[in-house]
Order: sequence, then structure tokens, then C-alpha cells
Amino acid sequence: MSVAEKSRRRLRELRPSTVLATLALLAVSAIVLLPIAVIVLTAFKPVAEVNAYPPSLLPDAWTLDNLRQITADLPFARLIANSFAFAGGVTAFALVFDSLAAYALARIDFTGRRVLLVVIIATLMIPFQATLIPLYQLVSDLGWVNTYAALIAPRAADAFGIFFLRQFFLGLPRDLDAAARIDGASEFRVFRSIVLPNAVPALLTLGLFTFVNNWNDLLWPLVFTTKAEMGTITSGLTLLTGPSGIVPHGVMMAGSLIAILPLVVAFLFVQRRFIENIATTGLK
Amino acid sequence: MSAEQSTTRRYRPPAPLGGRRRDGAGSRNAKALAFLAPALVVIGLFVIWPMLSALRLSFTDASGFGREEWIGLENYRTVFTDPDVFDAVANTVWYTVLFTPTAVIAALALALLLNSPHLPFRSFFRTALFVPFVVSFAVAAFAWSYLIDPRVGLLNYWLRGLGVQMGDVLQDPDLAMPAVAFVAVWKLFGFYFVIFLAGLQDIPTSLYEAARMDGAGPWSRLRHVTLPMLSNTMAFVLVFAMIAALQAFDQIYVMTGGGPYGNTQTVVMEIYESGFRKLDIGFASALSYVLLIATLLLSLVQFVFFGRKEKDLS
Amino acid sequence: MKRTRILLGAGLTSLALVAAGCSGGDADGPVELTFWHGYTEADGDVLEGIVEDFNASQDDVTITTELKTWASIDDTLLTALSAGEGPDLVAMPAERLPVYAARGAFAELDDFYADEASNTANLVPGAVDMIEVEGAKYGVPTGFVPLAVYYNTALFDAAGVTAFPETWDDWVATAERLTEDQDGDGTPEQYGVVLPDHATVANGLWPSLLYGNGGDLVQDGKAVIDSPENAETLQYWVDAINDRQISPTGVDGIGADELFSAGKAAMTVGGPWMASIADENGIDYAIAPLPAGPQDQAASAIGVSMAVTVDADDDARAAAEDFLAFFLDDDNAAAWSLGSGWPPLRTDVPADAVASNPVVASLTEIAPMGRPLLPGVVNSVDVLSAVDELTQRAVAGEDVATLLADAQDKIQKALDE
Repeated sequence: MSVAEKSRRRLRELRPSTVLATLALLAVSAIVLLPIAVIVLTAFKPVAEVNAYPPSLLPDAWTLDNLRQITADLPFARLIANSFAFAGGVTAFALVFDSLAAYALARIDFTGRRVLLVVIIATLMIPFQATLIPLYQLVSDLGWVNTYAALIAPRAADAFGIFFLRQFFLGLPRDLDAAARIDGASEFRVFRSIVLPNAVPALLTLGLFTFVNNWNDLLWPLVFTTKAEMGTITSGLTLLTGPSGIVPHGVMMAGSLIAILPLVVAFLFVQRRFIENIATTGLK
Repeated sequence: MSAEQSTTRRYRPPAPLGGRRRDGAGSRNAKALAFLAPALVVIGLFVIWPMLSALRLSFTDASGFGREEWIGLENYRTVFTDPDVFDAVANTVWYTVLFTPTAVIAALALALLLNSPHLPFRSFFRTALFVPFVVSFAVAAFAWSYLIDPRVGLLNYWLRGLGVQMGDVLQDPDLAMPAVAFVAVWKLFGFYFVIFLAGLQDIPTSLYEAARMDGAGPWSRLRHVTLPMLSNTMAFVLVFAMIAALQAFDQIYVMTGGGPYGNTQTVVMEIYESGFRKLDIGFASALSYVLLIATLLLSLVQFVFFGRKEKDLS
Repeated sequence: MKRTRILLGAGLTSLALVAAGCSGGDADGPVELTFWHGYTEADGDVLEGIVEDFNASQDDVTITTELKTWASIDDTLLTALSAGEGPDLVAMPAERLPVYAARGAFAELDDFYADEASNTANLVPGAVDMIEVEGAKYGVPTGFVPLAVYYNTALFDAAGVTAFPETWDDWVATAERLTEDQDGDGTPEQYGVVLPDHATVANGLWPSLLYGNGGDLVQDGKAVIDSPENAETLQYWVDAINDRQISPTGVDGIGADELFSAGKAAMTVGGPWMASIADENGIDYAIAPLPAGPQDQAASAIGVSMAVTVDADDDARAAAEDFLAFFLDDDNAAAWSLGSGWPPLRTDVPADAVASNPVVASLTEIAPMGRPLLPGVVNSVDVLSAVDELTQRAVAGEDVATLLADAQDKIQKALDE
């Protein structure tokens, strides 16, 4: 069978299923992206249209009122800066501390390894609400309330990240570092020069995960900062709720848009390396 | 010869354990400690210590304002006898059943589809499916509530045009839980999808070629090559999806507040309500520990079931 | 005008200082107090103004306010107080105060109330009931207003309704007249009234209806919800909602506000915030009392209370009490009422002092009808969720007698805890 014949056959074989799969994916993507579209488009709708019946996806008249309202209601540059400091700080520390710990758990055969792993995973299984009060008392004893330290330090390492990276490190072939070891490289050197460079996609994934989760966290900044100017954009959005609990939809959507925009940009920025290469490096 | 046999024979995960040959146990322990120290300090101080404090509180009637008395197992007795706790457990199980398989199967199916190199717009789809993950639960809950609002909701309006009466989903005792579970699926499946995608790319293509030579069709390749090779990834995703399900809180708090009449009141909602609304920290802590033990047991079962092959790795 | 207010405030403060025997001349400079509140609208500005006046009126105390939402106060107060990082003064929805007080979060203020200089003698009695727990007083009210009917005057005119109904039967008939099913699909596009069946305002609306027929939820620490009067009341309103379609079902208080502000409901039951919501949405409205039931005309009141926390030491507590007395003095009582849009908290504020705000004037007329909701009930969370379940299931068509018996058990259990 010639190459041309083969590719023609493959085309013939794949076409209906490919078309079907593409259509299915388009439908799924439409449902998945619908709420995002609603957030973006409602943010530009005037109040009357937001609550109008029949509803429509696109605004009839575009307005910047909602965005203006946000900037009037919230110290919003400060909140965004705090969000970057908090989510960025946590991410930076967590990547370093988690990868160090994960390396030990994956590649050093020390006493009590399995027990330690189980204990670390078990810390994920207690609801955050249960430890909030003791944790807060500790942070207060350290004198950290209303500081970045209170927001960042308790999350400078986390069980999910350690477990995630451990799984990845387990999958990296041994022969990579065998040579370096024979050359007498130290354990830390193997970690830094062999394992880490090969783990970039996993680190990116975990970094994005950690950044997104902390950026989006509501209760954490709400509890650990009592002063409005120490809040994050996510906790700040709660201030948009009106008396009697009414949430002005348009303004809230504008706030949500502002809150997710940096994340979407960050994601699009790393997504090529992140999704395309997530686990391929180091194996080929 | 079946594809499965060839799989297990051909694929040998790399032996881990650095420095095993050269170093003694003491030296390995010292090295490990050096690597572990920063994370252990953080987790020990800010996670384990508060957990132990919460354990102590679970034997008291603490309110958080300084007055507390040791009441032994009283809180645990309440956990196991209070009908509200039973309801919350039943609701949590129902939520987990709705959420976990849906999210995991959707993520896996889409990962399988998008792992195929022939698909057009592959990278667009991969991006689109992950986008919900960057949206916070609060915003997701808010946007979905607006979409399914019985009066001004776009989705409701469109479905009505198709002759489907959705009604007020969040006030419907039967539909409220599926609705809040769906929002969690929407928000989280993208992350599981990416993990599966990574797992799929790790499977050596030689295995598929071998299976194909053995005459295995697509279905058989999925069953005998893909799924067994994904079992580690599967265990990982399942355990974390289950933890997410058992700790369901955020979108429920925003969308239904546990209603209608307690039908979406999950265990963590109950913990939050007893701790932060009724100020009964002792009881909330006891309930949290019961949840911790239950989650731990369920996770072990999953690791044993799906992660059999992990023994090879460690 | 402003100056006299400050002078008067200063005079009262010094009186309070003398009376409380407080060591105002502490060598370490002024006492610093923090004050958390959730007044995020125009009322917040007025409150900030009163705080600034207080700070300017003397040199011994400086109060700093932290603006939060009511919900986030509830989410963060417990953790903050558990570590001694809490505010000295905090305002919160009145039904939330008893649980904090009973759990030891607040300072008891009986001596403050006993002191004439505290300006508490003429407080609205119902409002004071809401800060009492087990016989002791734990705060001062900052708001107390009965639920009232806010109605869309344009829709009333269009339907030719000239007089606001005065009895339940009238009310239902009027609501029916204002309900319109324009496309004939069986679902009205415009409802005569919106009666939420769960959460927020519903928690006050249904007790109000029960009062109207001589019923109640809790009396002297006993659940009394399972009564023939209550069964009659529930059935009456369930029939009106379901058979005569005067109101949509499954709506909560927030949904009710939205329907009214969208012009899709001619009447809603709510609090003073409805006035500003209606204004924002361009709805012409008027305010009327809840029509009288067969036995009584009464409405459950919404309250906000302010308390001194355990984080305030002796000096801070004395200073906080000074502020409370200042807040309740003649001028501020009137100014706060006008600025917040809520009726005055003191019964001796003359009507003409608040005549300039028509909303306040109408609400002040209705004020005597207000009854405190679950005063002194520590576990109001479970009582209210039992009421929620009762009303929601009743409106959904379940058997009223069974529901009342269930609710009776649940409420009694919550009271016994």
C-alpha cells in the first residue's frame, strides 16, 4: 500500500467520525463557554436590560456604567494588587517548597515515607472551616492579622501540590539522573539540574492551579484581613451586595469580569506549554 | 495473546529511589529531611497544629469566645444521632454520586477525543474546556443562577422556546441538587481533563501499535491499553474529585443556601452552619473529624482498587 | 446647627463620663475603638458622620469604623473575637445577637441601661426586647421597623384601585384584581403581590400573617406554632396564592424585591430599603401597613442591633458606652432616623423631627405595629429554617396539619438545645 493510498484511506475512514466529534466538541464548548459569555456581555448591559424579559445574550445598548460603578465602589487597583501579591506569593513559595518535598517523597527512600505521604494527603480531607479558628488564633499570636504574611505563609506549602508533583517525579525515568550521580552530583544538584528542568510542564500546571485557587479564594482573605484595603478583588466583590442581599447583576458581572480577566490572560499566556506539553517533556 | 498481557509485560515503570545503592539509611533520612523541612514546617505549623487543636475542641462545648468545657464524646454522640446530620450525609452522598462520575467521565471522554491528532481546532477546544476552571466558584454560581433564573434567565427562556419548561430549578426539591452538582462539574472537569490528557500522552505509542498488530479494535484498545495504563491517573483524579465532592460548599452556599428545605444541605454546609451560625465550634469540629475519617477510608479503597499498579512505582 | 449638635453631644458625653465613673484622663492618650458595621448605602455615610461628630466632641475616645457586609460580619466576627482581634463595637442583624450574647461574645449592658444619661429610657420597647437574652441586656438597637407593604402606585392607578386594602379579604381581592395573565398561558405576567415563601423577608412575613389571626411561633420559650389559628392562616394564604394566583411561588425575599423593582408585582412586603430600590428602578411607590387579619393588625419587625464585644477592655467598654449614649441622644436619634430611612428608635422623637423624609414619616406611623421576631431565642437559625420549610412546603401544596406538627417538633427541639 503506497503512502498516498494509505492517507487517502485514513481520510475516508476518519471523516464521518471526525466531523461528528468536532460537532460534539463544538456543542460542549458552547455550553461550557455560555456562562463566560454571559458574564462578559452582561457587564456591558444597562440595568434595564439586565432584568428585562425576554432576555437576550447581546446587549442592545452597550454601556460602561457597570465598570464605572465598580471603580467608584471599590478601591479596586489596590484590591487587584493585593490579589497579585497574595496569589503570586503563595504560588512562588508553594512551587519551591512543594517540589522539594515531592522530590524527597518520590526519589529518596527514607524511613516512614509512606506514613508521611498518607498524613500529608489526610490534611486535605478535613474541611477548611474546621481548622479556621485554631489557625486564626495562631496567626493572631504571630501578630500577622491584616498582613500579607497571614495570607501567604499558611499556604506556602500544600498537600495537593506535594502529592501532584510526587506523582510526576515518579514518572521521570531514572536514567536521567543516574549519569549525574555517577559523576558525583549531590542530591540537590540532581533535583535542581535534572529533575526540575524536566518538570517544567508539571510546575506550570501546579503554578496555575495554585494561583487560580488562591486568587479565587473568598473566605481566606475575608477572614484574615479585617481592613478593606488588605482585601483581594474576590473578597472585595462581596461589598457589592446591596442592602437586603440584592446583588446588582450588571455591576457584579463587571466585577467578575475584572476578577477573571487577569487569570484568563495568564492562562492564555502559558496554555501552549501547559496543555500541549504538560507531561511530555523528559520522557522523549 | 491479549493486549492486556502484552501491556503488563512490556511496560515496566522506572524504579525510583535515588541513592539506594550508595547510601545508608541514615544518610538518606538526613537528605530527605533537608528536602522536606520547609514544607513540613509550613504544613506542621499551619495545618497539622490547627487540626490537632480542632481535635481537642471536638471534645469541648467551645464557642470560640474563651469559655469552654470538656464534654467528652458528647459531640460525637450527637453526630451519630442527630437526624440533621443523617440528612446532610445522605445529601453529600447524593451529591458525590451526581458529581464524581459525571465530572470524571466527561473529563476522560473529552481527553480521549482531544488526544487524537486528527481533530481540527484541537488547541481551541483544549483551551475552551479549561477556561471554567479559572472562574471562582462564587462567580460561577452567580452566573449560572442568573442563566437559569425562572424569570430573566436566558437558558430558561431558550428552553421554553423549545417547549421545555425548566421551572425554578433551585427551588425544586428534586432538581436543586443536580443543579449545584452540575455547576461543580462545569467548574472542575477542565482540570481533570488536563490531568487525563497528560496521562494519555504518557502512554507509549508502541503499546497501541502492538495491540493493533494483535488485531485489537478501538474499543478493545481502550479497555486493554488505555484504561490500564491510566489507572494511576484515574486513582489520582478520582480521589481528588471525591474530596472535592465530599467538601462541596461554595456554590451551594451561594445558589441555594442549603435549601429548598435542607435538600442541598451537605456535611460541610452543616459544619459551617453549626460553627459559624450557631457558634457551636465543638460540634462542628467533631463533625469535621468524622468527615475526615470517612474521606480517608474512601480514598484508601480507591487507591487500593484503582492504584494497584502503583505498587510497582513505590 | 452642626455646632450645637456637637456641643450638646459633648455635654452629654461628659455627663456620661462622670456617671460611669470612667477614667477619661488616661495618660496613654485617647482610647481607640474599632466599630464594624454593614451600613453600605447612604445610611453608612450618616453613621460615619455621627462617629466623626463623636470623635470631634471629645479628646478621650477615637472610633474607627470598618465597613463590611452584614454577611461578612457574621463570617468573620467569630474568628476575630476568638483571637482577641475583634472590634470593640459591632452592629449586626438583631436576630443574630442572642446567639453571640448567649455564647459569651458580648458585654452585658444592664448598668448602662440603668443610667439615665444613656438615653435609653424611651427606646422602642420591641427593639429593646431584641437585645435581651435570658433577662440581661447586651446591646442597643440601631434599627427597628415593622414590615410594610410597598406598592406600585402606577399599577394601582392602571387597575383603577383607589384605596389601599385594610383587611385580608380586601387585600387578596385587590391583589387578584392586579394580577394579569396577558397571554393566557395560566402564568400571570404581573402579580398583584409577591409573597416570598422562604428566606430573608419571608421569615418575617409569615409570622406577621400568623399574628394577624392571633397565632405566634414561640411564646415564653415554648413552641406554639401548631395551633388551629395558624392552620387556618396558612390554609387561607396557600389558597390565595395557589388558587387565585395572587403571588408567584418559590420566591425568596431577594426575588420578591427584584420582581417589584421590575414592575412585575404590584405589591411587596419589605423594609425601608425597598424605598431606595424603587427609586433606583424608577417605580412610583407608596407605603401602607400590612392589612389587618381577623384578630389583629401586627407586623414582624426587622432589627439591627449594636453590641460591645468581649474584646473591649474596661476602658474601651466605658468609651463604647459613651458612644452608645451619644448615638441615642436627641439630635442623633432624629438625624440617624432621617439618614437611614428607618423610624426613630426613641418614642419621644417628635413626629415633626422626621417629617422631612416621607418614607420615615410613613414608617413611623406604622411603627407601633411592629413586633420583635423571636426575641431572646438563641437558636434562631433552626427555628427560622423550620418556618422556611413549613411555608415552602405549604405553598407547594403539602398538608398543613402535618407540616405544622413537624414544625412544632423542630422548633421545640431548637428551643431546648
